[in-house]
Amino acid sequence: MSPTTLRVTGGRVYDPANGVDGAVRDIAIRDGKIVDSVDGGRTIDASGMVIFPGGVDVHSHVAGAALNFARGLTPENYRAARRFLHAPGRRQGLGGITPTTFATGYLYAGMGWTTVNEAAMPVLTARHTHEELHEVPIIDKSTLVLMANNEFVLDLLEAGETERARHVVAWLIWAAKAYGVKAVNPGGVNAWKWGRNARVLHEPVYGYETLTPATIIEGLAAIVDDLGLPHPVHLHCNNLGIPGNVETTIETMKILEGRRAHLAHLQFHAYGGDDWGTMRSAAVEVAEAFNANPNLTTDAGAVLFGDSVTLTADGPWQHLLYQLTGRKWANLDVENETGCGIVPYVYKDRSLVNAVQWATGLELMLLIDDPWRVHLTTDHPNGGCFWRYPEIIRLLMDAEFRKEQLRQIAPKARERIVLGDLDREYTLSDIAVVTAAGPARALGLTEKGHLGVGADADVTIYPGTPDGDGILFSYPRYVLKGGEVVVEEGDVRAVTEGKEFIVHPPSDEGTAEYLRPLFEKAYTMSFANYPVEIERVKGADVRPLH
Amino acid sequence: MSQTSNLTVVENATCTFCGCVCDDIELHADGERIVQAKMACSLGKSWFLNHTAERLYPDALIDGREATLDDAVEAAAEYLHAANMPLVYGLSNTTCEAQREAVALAESIGGVVDSHTSL
Amino acid sequence: MGGKVSCTLGEVTNRADFIIFWGGNPAECHPRHFTKYSLTPKGRFVPDGRKGRTAVLVDIRETPSAKAADIFLQLRPSKDFEVLTTLRALIKDQRVDPAAVAETGLTLEQLQDLVDRMKKARFGAMFFGMGLSMTRGKHMNSGALLNLAAEMNAFTKFVCMPMRGHGNVTGADVVLRYTTGYPFGVNLSRGYPRYNPGEFSTVDLLVRGDNDAAFILGADPGATMPQPAIEHLASIPTIVLDPKVTHTSRLSRVHITTAVTGVSAPGTAYRMDEIPLPLAPALRSPYPTDEEVVRRIRRAVARRPAWQPVDENVRSAIA
Repeated sequence: MSPTTLRVTGGRVYDPANGVDGAVRDIAIRDGKIVDSVDGGRTIDASGMVIFPGGVDVHSHVAGAALNFARGLTPENYRAARRFLHAPGRRQGLGGITPTTFATGYLYAGMGWTTVNEAAMPVLTARHTHEELHEVPIIDKSTLVLMANNEFVLDLLEAGETERARHVVAWLIWAAKAYGVKAVNPGGVNAWKWGRNARVLHEPVYGYETLTPATIIEGLAAIVDDLGLPHPVHLHCNNLGIPGNVETTIETMKILEGRRAHLAHLQFHAYGGDDWGTMRSAAVEVAEAFNANPNLTTDAGAVLFGDSVTLTADGPWQHLLYQLTGRKWANLDVENETGCGIVPYVYKDRSLVNAVQWATGLELMLLIDDPWRVHLTTDHPNGGCFWRYPEIIRLLMDAEFRKEQLRQIAPKARERIVLGDLDREYTLSDIAVVTAAGPARALGLTEKGHLGVGADADVTIYPGTPDGDGILFSYPRYVLKGGEVVVEEGDVRAVTEGKEFIVHPPSDEGTAEYLRPLFEKAYTMSFANYPVEIERVKGADVRPLH
Repeated sequence: MSQTSNLTVVENATCTFCGCVCDDIELHADGERIVQAKMACSLGKSWFLNHTAERLYPDALIDGREATLDDAVEAAAEYLHAANMPLVYGLSNTTCEAQREAVALAESIGGVVDSHTSL
Repeated sequence: MGGKVSCTLGEVTNRADFIIFWGGNPAECHPRHFTKYSLTPKGRFVPDGRKGRTAVLVDIRETPSAKAADIFLQLRPSKDFEVLTTLRALIKDQRVDPAAVAETGLTLEQLQDLVDRMKKARFGAMFFGMGLSMTRGKHMNSGALLNLAAEMNAFTKFVCMPMRGHGNVTGADVVLRYTTGYPFGVNLSRGYPRYNPGEFSTVDLLVRGDNDAAFILGADPGATMPQPAIEHLASIPTIVLDPKVTHTSRLSRVHITTAVTGVSAPGTAYRMDEIPLPLAPALRSPYPTDEEVVRRIRRAVARRPAWQPVDENVRSAIA
């Protein structure tokens, strides 16, 4: 039986949401929640250690059709992957670039992260995503459903029927049992179905008269706000990865003025130059525009050198990457809704382009003033694997170390970046903000990302001194999830089941009947079988709307 | 599912005979047999109409002799537990839920798990 | 090189104006493939349905599916790879040897015509069957077709996918990938997944006599596998779960009767394009489902002394 009470004593606590910055505090836990005090139960002596809220990943790809496609595309990557052996009560698993379901839970928990937002789910294959998430142990999960290329939604936005569009989006969110709305390359994925893209924000999307990426962005941001979803529209801007895309990104911020929005993996959208030869970091311009737009949050989408698999709903970008690399390419267009492309990729420190990308992610995190608005991600597995986050933390905290690393990269790249001029060093409190408090707030998960009374008892306890490689956060001494000790001394001790956060925004009663005839024309499955049954979402936690 | 006279009607049923997995089938069943499979192709029709809810086979067989389910489960567990390199094979004409259980079984007995795909 | 450029079937319905079926006979093996998904239905951007599409069948013999196609290309047996390689050269305007082409049973004119039509397509789709993937060349053949489709995207939109048989075999691929990382033939004997087709695939294991027990679910290998594999199955303790007493049941030590998937057992099955679909049973079976029986066996195994994987090269710790 799991203990119902637990005390963690003597540790230095970093709980920026509650203004605690390294003070020695005791933490009391009862029935999975943080409370004022408890009597009896187990006590963990955390003297000399540092205590953080469990990490929250605002943007990661951990489950579903696209990731599972990537697993099948790259079996060779598992040979060198971390192995988790079968033991009674603990399923086997493989880590690596695209970890298996069980390993995903162990790796996140083992690093001290306890909540993960899966950032891209089609409605059509939502059953698959939930089926996988159920097999990801320990951590809590949420999902974003892809909307910016859904033809029903685009047709309504083109026709100016915004109210009906809102009902349709609400209906689709509940059909998918999602938590929020994702917009990937608005209009561009749809155009890709004819082998085209949407490069210009104010030009009509291929196949439409008046609908532009800009009107899709505005329309979806407004709908998400009107529905009162806890998390704002989660936007993957147009022109991801392309030199000179800084203009698109800054224009997108203008379009979003006055609206809540989260800009995903900003690093991939902050390049200057005209082509691959002249590409440079545009982190300064992007950070300046971002700082001036307090309505926005973002995540870094930082790049680390080494192997990755790029994986996105942005089909046209993936075709370009396939042409650039000549490596494997998988593409999966999803009828009426979205697409996805997968290309294995290696980021090399001697490559000009890759070195610029590496620097740009760090620059953004250092140039954005307010750590509450920028969250630590690698857009796993795109920029690097989530289990490499401690490497980024070290780079953020240690300017000298950054300068050392700068000496390793392609010399030409040093003229295209500003990283060498940045002396800012993240404090422990800043790290707690960008890994937990900030993303929890952006996701609207009020009981996550802090250690105040009433919070979920997701607590990560790190040793107080860096490991042999100089990394402070390489692995926690203890991880508590919902008050249970799930990781101790680097070993998984308890395999618990996490929750899945979903929302149920209201839609007009006639929405299903409006959609049915359209659906029957556009889809090859039965309308009745389209919505995911709530019974299939294990540990479902329906969250309140604003 | 709706009940009309003595027939159970299931709309939007899914046919798992071939890889098309059509999910627009309308099944009419009389309790023991499916008497009609509207929308199904010739292969799907014979698949649905050839199955029955009757007890045509024993619950289980051990060494060819009728046995109870409980005894058969124990015998299966004993054999699989004792084996060094057991094989878990097939996984086609079954549900994903059973497939997940089969993977869990394979790892708990330290075996190989494989499907028709390897043929 | 390599990969898979694909889509869900509805994309083909709604957009494809040019379709190639290669080494497959949907008219007899997937009867509704033509009528529900690929050929005859009207789609959003193919309002004329069948009239709006050109269909090509490539096969070694004139199957009933040829009647449904506009163009039938009959190649000599075992020449698929050569034809595909030629097509990959032709789309890039590379020179090919007419004498080599002649050996395939097709002419250069026929192949050039095919390439011209492919390039003119707005949205091309290719489907392949076991006539491509299970004949001489096997996965090299399917790889060549998948590469051809990928490369066609430099000119116009193209996708390619297998026409898979056997009910929920696609689901098995999906489930194995997310639970073990690999799609089939996964060896868990060291406590973590290992994959090596040809070494850990069933027929190879059985013919070599590597297995000392077998658990068969949702298949009847006793009716379909090579004789040496069947003989080994008969010589070891084999356990079968099936709605009927099958060939394999007859050579097994233990048979357990289970409910029929989708007829009397609920759950999920994946379509060949990896769309998961719910199963709504119309009959109530007197027998338990596969899922229930496997779980009971797993629990019965768990009551016995735990097996611990031993591999000195492996650490169980996260760190």
